[in-house]
Amino acid sequence: MDLKVVGKPVARKDAIEKVTGQTKFGADIDLPGQLYGAVCRSTYPHATIKNVNTEMALKLPGVRAVITGKDYTKLYGQFIEDQPVIAFDKVRYQGEPVALVAAEDLLTAQEAARLIEIEYEPLPVVNSIDEALTNETLLHEDWSKYNIPGACHPVQNTNIGDTFTLRKGDIEQGFKESDLVVENKFSCSMLQHTTIETHTATAYVNQITGEITVYTPAQSPFTIRPVLAKAFNVPLEKIRIICTAIGGGFGSKYEVRAEPLAIALALFTNGRPVKLQFSREEEFMASVARAPAQIHLKTGVKKDGTLVAQQVKIYWDTGAYVTTGPRVNYNAGFAACGPYKIPHAWVDGYCLVTNKSLGTAYRGFGVPEVACAHEFQMDCIAKELGLDPLELRLKNVLEEGDISVTGEVMQSIAVKECLEEAAKNIGWYDKPLNWTTQDGKLAGKGIACFCKLTGTPSTTSTVLKLNENGSLTIQYSGREMGQGVTTVIPQMAAEALGISLDKIHMAPVDTAYSPYDKTTTSSRSTFHGGNAVLMAAEQIKEQLLDLAAKYFQVSPSQMEYVDGVIRCKGEPTKAIHIEDIEASGILKEQPPVIGNGTYSTLNLYYKPDPLTRQSKRPTVMWMFGAQAAITEVDPATGCIKLKTIGAAHDVGYAINPVGCLQQIEGPIIMGLGHALLEEMIYENGILRNGNMVDYKVPTFQDSDVEMKITLVEKQHPEGPFGAKGIGEPGICPVAAAIVNSVNAACEANLNSIPIKPEHVLFRKED
Amino acid sequence: MKTLTIQVTVNGEAFCKTVGVNMTLLEFLREELHLTGTKLGCNEGECGACTVLVDGKPVNSCLMLAVEADGAEIFTVEGLAKDGTLHPLQEAFIEAGAVQCGFCTPGMLMSAKALLDKYPKPTAQQIRKELEGNICRCTGYDRIVKAIILASEMNKEG
Repeated sequence: MDLKVVGKPVARKDAIEKVTGQTKFGADIDLPGQLYGAVCRSTYPHATIKNVNTEMALKLPGVRAVITGKDYTKLYGQFIEDQPVIAFDKVRYQGEPVALVAAEDLLTAQEAARLIEIEYEPLPVVNSIDEALTNETLLHEDWSKYNIPGACHPVQNTNIGDTFTLRKGDIEQGFKESDLVVENKFSCSMLQHTTIETHTATAYVNQITGEITVYTPAQSPFTIRPVLAKAFNVPLEKIRIICTAIGGGFGSKYEVRAEPLAIALALFTNGRPVKLQFSREEEFMASVARAPAQIHLKTGVKKDGTLVAQQVKIYWDTGAYVTTGPRVNYNAGFAACGPYKIPHAWVDGYCLVTNKSLGTAYRGFGVPEVACAHEFQMDCIAKELGLDPLELRLKNVLEEGDISVTGEVMQSIAVKECLEEAAKNIGWYDKPLNWTTQDGKLAGKGIACFCKLTGTPSTTSTVLKLNENGSLTIQYSGREMGQGVTTVIPQMAAEALGISLDKIHMAPVDTAYSPYDKTTTSSRSTFHGGNAVLMAAEQIKEQLLDLAAKYFQVSPSQMEYVDGVIRCKGEPTKAIHIEDIEASGILKEQPPVIGNGTYSTLNLYYKPDPLTRQSKRPTVMWMFGAQAAITEVDPATGCIKLKTIGAAHDVGYAINPVGCLQQIEGPIIMGLGHALLEEMIYENGILRNGNMVDYKVPTFQDSDVEMKITLVEKQHPEGPFGAKGIGEPGICPVAAAIVNSVNAACEANLNSIPIKPEHVLFRKED
Repeated sequence: MKTLTIQVTVNGEAFCKTVGVNMTLLEFLREELHLTGTKLGCNEGECGACTVLVDGKPVNSCLMLAVEADGAEIFTVEGLAKDGTLHPLQEAFIEAGAVQCGFCTPGMLMSAKALLDKYPKPTAQQIRKELEGNICRCTGYDRIVKAIILASEMNKEG
């Protein structure tokens, strides 16, 4: 295939607006007559609300509305409706909204929120997975009272908000057949996405029609629309979500957060818009987080390193409400055994509720955590058997035609190539597992691989509109959040239609007129959006061929569309280039040229068995990759320095190679933070480091890491031009590779992240 | 709230405004002058998204009061491009792929401008040190370092 636009490195289409400061993010929206919202938040992590006194707040000049949970008692949630818009009977985490204020200016709103007096009766606090598992204190006394619109399986009279199981073979038999059984545990800290843009929403309510409009940097407008419609008891079409640019998502803007609060206030302001922006403190304490995880593994293996059986138990601390925990549990459950051939596999996953912020979607949806665990386990096995860690992996890794732990015959799989390339990128074969550097540092190498599915089934629709001058407008609701979707989608349309890239524009996303797209998560946009765009482009071509046939007075079957030229076969004079379409006059007084494309994966999916998860095809697209790390540890200070990451990811086909590299480089540094720096520290339900001074994300200085990246291109049979997703894969093996390299360097078995200097110095091992 | 009248030059344009004494320079730029390119990220001087140049020096505008800027010359991201021509830093950020979500970009560009004014040919180490106060969550920083070096080479050529 002679491709002209895809497969070439392309500068982002959204870059000029971004470097000139013209891009409009959530907080850049100001509407006439707007009020400012502030939230009175719970100071207790768990308490009964005895009384809320708003009298003083209401008296403050400039205050236009003060509302409490009593004004609005509906519950909401995407998977389970367990969360109040404003807490009314009890609070379940520090920072939970208890009352809302709208005022003429922000300072007045904040002052009024401070004047609200709340009488609490403290309840015992559930601070950890272990405490939740005792069920001595129940956060949600009766799960059965809640409506469950999604796939969510709470266990009555427990703190378990969701359960997941996977069963293949006979696990006990597998352990019996093994020469060696290795048991380990791995734990991951709670993380905050720390997008530089905090959650923001500006909402107003039409006083006559009741239509609710909200401006928001939402990742998934069509996922949150039904949630908001139910929460505010209006028909779906009466929620209009106008999307602003997103200043960093990483999953944090998948849930509704600021939107319900701004809308709740706007119901009480006589039509005046209410703008509500989370402070950084609110972002840490009361937006969303990555759930801490505890993962137990028991693995049976033959002397030669062949994996026989693996049992994994995963406990997620999803915080006070279940939110997207079940989806994290599901995605991670499918990935928990890694990309390996294992005849006997059991996985049990549990979401536990605790009195903390909400542990939910974060880039990778649980896979970076389970990858840390299964790859830590692989290194422990390699050590016990005296095998090279890479050799052990290559021996067990899934290859073309192998059967996965969920019973699928794997196709277009290149995880082996990824492992080999990642290893080469750090010079794996020339180095021992550890060594001492000339300046006395302990150095080590580590490697890790992973598998991750994309959510299936799902649907994406697009509308392509050919403008009178031959330019093209794409209506598509996949959200740009830095990953480059608004560049790769036009690239694919340009390739299909022969229109130059600079004549293709993405329409803004607004649920009032944009076509449905399930969500911008799960690394799905290039794959799903690309397929939908290619289908829509075919319709554009057909319509143009018909119009041109009429114009040239030939039959449509004599016409062909080649590289943007609409022409009559064998008659070179009867040809119009798409860019000359206006001058040609063939569009004049004709119906609009509009192509629709809908890509659904329903027919490419076999619903996994709810107990065993066995399925011929549980996902339309598996993603695989590997990364290797070299780390140096200073034995005197414990200072850990990541020196090199060698990465190799199977992108199927790189539509925009620069974009693919960006989607790996960023996560490598993000993963460095996960492995070595970041943790939300809670003490009895109180967040101790909810600011950017005490919660450390990687800076320029932390990030001086040599990155060598290979894009492996094993084309996906159903991918657009063979492409697969790359939004999340980059993050999945980073922390795991770093952990393994630190353990190699120090000859340790550190089994929790982040690994800090004190852990290295004092070897705090479980 | 007490107010004061201040005179400032922003991107070469003179303004005289009466502002509350508690208004930050960031709020002044965004709300009074509607220059929303400068971003609020943390409001505690830790993320650098609000960086602007005050008399040539990079400042976290969330930590400076508008009244403290009285008489000052201020440059924001909106002042970088001249007559539709991008500043070399802007071109280099695009060329090197140093932009992803774009939220940190305005502050990053202003810090980078201050750096290049100070060190016309900076090393990668100097860039990493001088820009440490600007946080980016998307790029992993490497392409930003490369972009600034690229811009410094464009300067030389220009």
